[in-house]
Amino acid sequence: MRSRFVAQVVVLTIITSFSLTGCSWWHRTFGPKKTNQPGTTQPTPLGGGGANGSDLGNNGSRPEGGNMDRAQFAAQTVYFDYDSAKIKPSEHSKLEAVAAALKGNSKKLVIEGHTDERGTAEYNRALGEKRAQSARETLVSLGIAGERMTTVSFGKDRPVEPSHDDTAWSRNRRCEFVVAGQ
Amino acid sequence: MKISMNAQCKADYGMARCPTAPHRATITRRAGTARPTGFNRRRLLTFLSICLLATIGQAQVVNVSKNFVKKSIVITSFAGGANVSDVLKNDLRLSGSFDIRPAGESAEYSVQGSADAAGVKCYLTQGAAKSSVLARAYPAASNPRTTAHMIADDIVQAVTGQRGIAQTKIAFIYSPKRGVKELAVMDYDGYNAHVLTHDGQISGHPRWSPDGRKILYTSYWKGFPDVLEVDLITNQRRVVANFSGVNSGADYSPDGQTIALTLSKDGNPELYTMNAGGGGLQRLTHTKGAESSPTWSPDGQSITYVSDDRGSPQIYTISRSGGEPTRLTRSPSYNTEPAWSRPPAGADVKPTLAVTSRVGGQFQVGVFEEGTGAVTPKAADGDCTDPTWAPDGHHLVFGKLRGYRSRLYLLDVRTNEQLELFAVDGESSEPAWGPRR
Repeated sequence: MRSRFVAQVVVLTIITSFSLTGCSWWHRTFGPKKTNQPGTTQPTPLGGGGANGSDLGNNGSRPEGGNMDRAQFAAQTVYFDYDSAKIKPSEHSKLEAVAAALKGNSKKLVIEGHTDERGTAEYNRALGEKRAQSARETLVSLGIAGERMTTVSFGKDRPVEPSHDDTAWSRNRRCEFVVAGQ
Repeated sequence: MKISMNAQCKADYGMARCPTAPHRATITRRAGTARPTGFNRRRLLTFLSICLLATIGQAQVVNVSKNFVKKSIVITSFAGGANVSDVLKNDLRLSGSFDIRPAGESAEYSVQGSADAAGVKCYLTQGAAKSSVLARAYPAASNPRTTAHMIADDIVQAVTGQRGIAQTKIAFIYSPKRGVKELAVMDYDGYNAHVLTHDGQISGHPRWSPDGRKILYTSYWKGFPDVLEVDLITNQRRVVANFSGVNSGADYSPDGQTIALTLSKDGNPELYTMNAGGGGLQRLTHTKGAESSPTWSPDGQSITYVSDDRGSPQIYTISRSGGEPTRLTRSPSYNTEPAWSRPPAGADVKPTLAVTSRVGGQFQVGVFEEGTGAVTPKAADGDCTDPTWAPDGHHLVFGKLRGYRSRLYLLDVRTNEQLELFAVDGESSEPAWGPRR
């Protein structure tokens, strides 16, 4: 009697946990096959139009062309706390190093802002931009001309660490400094 | 039979976040069963059996609105048209308005049809007397799904008086692999997915023009976040905004004449409007925080958006001509991605604001109650984000993370029933429900 009861519990638990996974295996095995159909041809991008403008405002214009050097300031990647765009005191020396290296030349800088994967894509795009602008403001206060620096936010879409834990997340909340051409 | 239920959990969230357990209404006590006084094997087996039945339908039926009653319907026969009737049955299920009875059972409404090379005929009758509600012939279509969707919409209209959604489309972001996100469109039921971009870059935040012809979206096609617009008829793309900094969050006004968007060319991300055809850029906000994710009010006179000017992100509304913003949300402490529904005039539901909240580290989709200022969770069984409304104002599609993989789910706000949309292999996120054509 007891072994039959145990068998019933085991079978029901297995089937329950199976169905708790969402029956997706069932649909994929027996459901209609859904294939990714590349439908329309590649849209042709039309240049210009719209609200194209080069209003400098508080942001430098985008660098044209290639020659993006990520190596020079790889060790100066600045890290942030969760939900925050504040430059932590412990990170300030990195910005001082970047500023020092940019004095006496006319190199342009692209400041990338990144977030960890948690949260929505769109809000993280804004938060990444705030982080990049925080770093930029600090560099301006350290004497680097604003027009030399442009920000780009990648939100959560370009992590360096793909895992889903606090260590990875803390390494993904960052600004990277990329030297752009001459 | 006692199922232990966290009473506080139920009071806060209905059953959305509570342990998976059947709604009390589905538990029936067998005649002659003694009132249980403690744990025993039969209780465990019955409990597991009911969990099995509750989960196998993949629906969480919670917070059923008191005023909302599904109509029973049965598809009695569909000669020669199994593919049409299968799609029709799914459409009726997704409409959320019907209790579909198995063939052979009786129901308030009865559907009968036939299909041949000439097309499809469909008859909808009501009651035992089988009075005719609908009798219509549909010409043959290249895709039987299209005909089924038309029939479903006609049935929904005839029975509920509200227009159906079976012929609508959903744009979304499709990620075939890490680091690549493309713009895609599918039928509302998850079928016919087409990928529209092949940039191999990151795309995001699609939004439809009111005529359904064009989609605005964020694209890193040149390595920076720009707003592009793709014309679905001509396949042409044009640049809408490519200023310095971030260009994102673009949303069309209900009349299609104006675009609201997020730009950081003048400082931190702020809210702007511009003419849909280009030019006329106007800045609406001036804060130390970041603004993002504008959604136009249904009357087109104001814009609801996110600002983290006070610390964590909350939802605000501002007149389309600028001025002092009005704060909408206070609790929970983190609200983003507002989306106004735009039910048609004469609909049985008023415009409603959906939001993505973060509660205790987990993301939830909820609706904002204007009277109380509270956010009522609608989907909280995982990280649920980025709600988008169907044109009927009853349905939402949103993204849910399961094991950090994002899939799209359809939710009926009248019943909180959820169904996964199996659109594509790979990840799907950031859905945007298209308008009726």
